[in-house]
Amino acid sequence: MSEKNIRQIAIYGKGGIGKSTTTQNLTAGLLDAGKKVMIVGCDPKADSTRLMLGGLAQKTVLDTLREEGEDIDLSAIMKEGFKGVRCVESGGPEPGVGCAGRGIITSIGLLERLGAYTDDLDYVFYDVLGDVVCGGFAMPIREGKAKEIYIVASGEMMALYAANNISKGIARYAKTGGVRLGGIICNSRNVDREEELVRAFARELGTQLIHFVPRDNVVQRAEINKKTVIEYEPKCGQANAYRKLAEAIENNQNFVIPTPISQERLEEILVEYGLMDSIKDDYRI
Amino acid sequence: MEKTRIDLNLESVQVREQRLGAITSWSGESAAELVNRAECGGLKDRSRSFSQCLGCSTTHGACQTIMIQDSVLISHGPIGCSSCFHDFAFSYRVSGANRGLTELKQRHVYSTNLEEKETIYGGMQKLRDTIRAAYEREHPNAIFIVTTCAAGIIGDDVESVTNEMEKEIGIPVCAVYCEGFRSKVWTTGFDAAYHAIARKLVKPPVKKRKLINVINFWGYDLFNEWFKPLGYEANYIAPYATVESLGYASEAAATMQVCPTLGTYLSHVLEQEYGVPEIKEAPPYGIPQTDAWFRNLGEVLGLEKEVEELIKQKKEEYLPKIEALREKLKGKKVYVAAGASYGHNLLAIARELGMDAIGAGIFHHEPRFDNGSGKSDVLRKVVDNYGDVPNFNVCNKQEFELVNRLYNLKPDLLLARHGGMSRWGAKLGIPSLLIGDEHFGMGYEGLVKYGERILETIENDEFVKNLQKHAFVPYTKWWFEQPVDTFLN
Repeated sequence: MSEKNIRQIAIYGKGGIGKSTTTQNLTAGLLDAGKKVMIVGCDPKADSTRLMLGGLAQKTVLDTLREEGEDIDLSAIMKEGFKGVRCVESGGPEPGVGCAGRGIITSIGLLERLGAYTDDLDYVFYDVLGDVVCGGFAMPIREGKAKEIYIVASGEMMALYAANNISKGIARYAKTGGVRLGGIICNSRNVDREEELVRAFARELGTQLIHFVPRDNVVQRAEINKKTVIEYEPKCGQANAYRKLAEAIENNQNFVIPTPISQERLEEILVEYGLMDSIKDDYRI
Repeated sequence: MEKTRIDLNLESVQVREQRLGAITSWSGESAAELVNRAECGGLKDRSRSFSQCLGCSTTHGACQTIMIQDSVLISHGPIGCSSCFHDFAFSYRVSGANRGLTELKQRHVYSTNLEEKETIYGGMQKLRDTIRAAYEREHPNAIFIVTTCAAGIIGDDVESVTNEMEKEIGIPVCAVYCEGFRSKVWTTGFDAAYHAIARKLVKPPVKKRKLINVINFWGYDLFNEWFKPLGYEANYIAPYATVESLGYASEAAATMQVCPTLGTYLSHVLEQEYGVPEIKEAPPYGIPQTDAWFRNLGEVLGLEKEVEELIKQKKEEYLPKIEALREKLKGKKVYVAAGASYGHNLLAIARELGMDAIGAGIFHHEPRFDNGSGKSDVLRKVVDNYGDVPNFNVCNKQEFELVNRLYNLKPDLLLARHGGMSRWGAKLGIPSLLIGDEHFGMGYEGLVKYGERILETIENDEFVKNLQKHAFVPYTKWWFEQPVDTFLN
């Protein structure tokens, strides 16, 4: 492992919330600012680097191990994408068989052994499956690996519920190791008073809303074109939003052990911010 | 050959298949064919379509760490994974006397006893509780954790538990990552143990000491006899070491190992990290190798003249005795069944004593070593010093292959080192000698001692001949007619 202090960051959040999209777009922001980044996809679906590589062009670590054996070079599992970003997809077994968690342990172990964590890197991002279902999915936040975590959430109840649950896991690991929560990234779903709600929620957890990413169809269009927004339409407002997120992460000093809240308290906050009298009967989206 | 670059920041050791290209199944014409192929890089493991038994890395991780005098071992896994560790407690007690250690503390092995529940909820709390309990009961100076398949698959973060508990109880807690499924070559467990020792117990040197590290099993205290005239003492690693003596291994003048398969990992790490020179010559079995090894020792210590004097003295004393034994043992047919590299060393002893090595089944084969030196390749030395060995195969303790070989080759003697191997010779009426002490056959004097034991075994064959008459051998005639590699794909 490297002597230099590479910022290793794990991104967690509810399934489908936009972790991979957000991670890649904010990485594009960091790359734009001249940073060197590696993205390690830790999701068996292996779609964490699609926008960086212009498609699902990456052979996963676990497919490579299965087909070629363990005597492989780094080049077999790492590809360079947009602005020299290094991309690795852990991959996993077919749905319903084997153990995807062990797959992540094996993949990260292999990356370390093959010397993927080189001194010139500024950032390593682990894009992790939505639910930390077993010990393997916590591998990226074990000691000596990611020390910072960001949770992607929105103003929807289930996203906040998941974020609160993930915080419980982080708190457990933080007690003994150096891992800390750096903030909540709000990936907007255009729900009522979303920014205030997520900000209040973040405060309850003892952390911050590090950035509010507005909802914009350009993200969808860029995805269809297999690109990040910054690559697809570098001058648009959404591209700037991702650049600002990247900047906020670059300058972040606020790292905490989260204080997860009870289900009752979570529901109270939702009522407080989500169901105000004035908008009681307005269900437009 | 290239040296391995060992990274002590990594929690687990790289397995032998990848690091050294090690194999556990091979069958060819002879030992020379094996070493030649290995040197060309053309060595490939053959898969087995039938297997009777296998060893496990977790046992080998335990083997070395269980024997450190003031440490305690915990197996983090289902209770069955530690069910054979009592064997080491036995060896520890019995062999301790040969080291002059009579006041040894009984070995207590703990298991976290992972059950169904822990495979679901995780075993880390049980591990914390076990470490605490072991510490309170034993007050050791270090605790070792050997991992198992179950703990590895559920993804228990053993490293963070060990670090956390170190802070709580104030002694090193060393995780040995030796999950059985990671490697087919069970000796990977040795490397895992030494990796843990190097990461957590060996301290950076403060001063130089007149010590020579001896990486070994539990042989008798030969090396202090040898080193004393040179002004050095043996620092035995890891059996019967203490947490303190492992700590200052970095301050020794040199490191040797009784077996390159056991020891080159740690000796290479000590050289790589702290500049402690490794004696790379294969261990001193047989006259040419004893000469070469002593000269390598002299060169490393800067005591060439003194060593030449020692060689001269010893040769004067022992060569006539060796010659007398050769007369008696000449032409006797020997088969060897043992691990690498001890099995290779037994071939050297047999050949040096004028015997005819007619075959060997060696448990695994490493075509290269971490130190990248060809000097450590014992089998190459045996072939160069004494000529080829026919009927040579690599066989991971498959007893059906051993029985087939013994039945068809009909040697006058079976030489073994591991429990369970010599009984097959005895059942077939073949005098069989099992000596577990690696130090016993070393040096010029070792040839005399071993030769005398061999002679005794061959001359006193009445027991095995009688046993043969009454013993039941479960294999059919069909199997004895098949080639030994029938079940290798």
